[in-house]
Amino acid sequence: MNCADICELAPLYVAGDLDTRRAAEFDAHLKTCSSCIVELEAQARLDARLREVLLSEEVDVARVNRRIREMLAQQSLEAAVKSVEPRRGRWMTAAMGMAAAFMLFVAGYLLIPSHVSQVYADAAEDHQSEVIDRSPRPWLSDPAQIEALAEKQGIGVAIPGELASGYRLARGKICRLDDRVYLHLVYGDGTREFSLFLRARDTEHLDARIRGFSNGRLLRECASGNEHLASFTTPYLDAIVATDDSAAASLEDAKLASDAVRD
Amino acid sequence: MPHAASLLRVARRLAPDPATAEDLVQETYLRAWRSFAQFQIGTNIRAWLFRILFNAFYARGRQITAGPIVVSLDAPGVEREPRRAAGLSFADAAEVIAALDSLSAEHRTVILLAVVEGFTCREIAEILAVPIGTVMSRLSRGRQAMRDWLLAASPPKVLQVRAGAGRVEKEC
Repeated sequence: MNCADICELAPLYVAGDLDTRRAAEFDAHLKTCSSCIVELEAQARLDARLREVLLSEEVDVARVNRRIREMLAQQSLEAAVKSVEPRRGRWMTAAMGMAAAFMLFVAGYLLIPSHVSQVYADAAEDHQSEVIDRSPRPWLSDPAQIEALAEKQGIGVAIPGELASGYRLARGKICRLDDRVYLHLVYGDGTREFSLFLRARDTEHLDARIRGFSNGRLLRECASGNEHLASFTTPYLDAIVATDDSAAASLEDAKLASDAVRD
Repeated sequence: MPHAASLLRVARRLAPDPATAEDLVQETYLRAWRSFAQFQIGTNIRAWLFRILFNAFYARGRQITAGPIVVSLDAPGVEREPRRAAGLSFADAAEVIAALDSLSAEHRTVILLAVVEGFTCREIAEILAVPIGTVMSRLSRGRQAMRDWLLAASPPKVLQVRAGAGRVEKEC
């Protein structure tokens, strides 16, 4: 194996896709060729730079999301109309099944199930886009600035800097869920992050299935797309937690947040 | 929407303008909706969506392809000596983008999928329906072409960084 082979096979080596013999040859070459190590490190840095540059580019996905929603709504409508025509066949039943399955698996929140409030769907989309996909947004990381932002939004309680289990406030910003302004906070423990959306209490409550209690507050839970969401209310706040983990994790996160947010 | 941002990010580097990129992503979801019966539950839905994106792209006859490269680096007989490129990671964002955009669509695509979107060579081979050897070759040659471009674009900076990092004497 020569140096050119090393350059070409490096992606397979890193992915663990090289067979045992070639992986051993790869290892053996690197032990004796410092220039290849320098080269691979330089390539890794350039890859990282390219990734950093492209992932920091603003990608305005909102418009294309809207276009896709409208398009799929139209497709669903057309399928529904065809399904009630007199000569419908089995294929239509299959097509309708396909559509439902597609929405569940691919676009769970393209066409939002009626039992999931828009506010949850928007929270799920925000979490996915801004925390999981890390779309660039102007976040605040200074707790004092976040506190000031909360006060400005009429949130009259202290923003917890730390939660139990080692979660710390990482960043915050303003966002809109279902056309209402929320404070979007992100908490992390170094290995995972979840979103906490806060807003001064509305008369309209956050409707979802009740799944438990914490701190004397009801915990509600639902799913939208790939995200699980849990909510609770205090006398002065509406709070929604969003995570790409399980439903149980969202409830656990909501408990942590509820314990830290005072009435 | 799941994966739409990733799809749009790649489509933007293939299409000549944002509107065409959005059309491609929209078409991807429409095709996915219509052919969902072909999706095997439990397999990688993200890779499946990217495969549909590229099918949509190719179905347009590549007339929308952006990028000035005409000569394919995959062409037989095109042999290029690997160059040493320590320090190129310090290149400006605009230079990195320009270097990427200087590649042919085929090489740019593989670089985007591997480096930015994190797919393995095997997954890329399935997405693009090409042999894995082709993916490896395009990845290697695409990276090399990017480094060549960056070295040519900013020699003073590269020389400075290389000097600081220690000159690599050995050529492979």
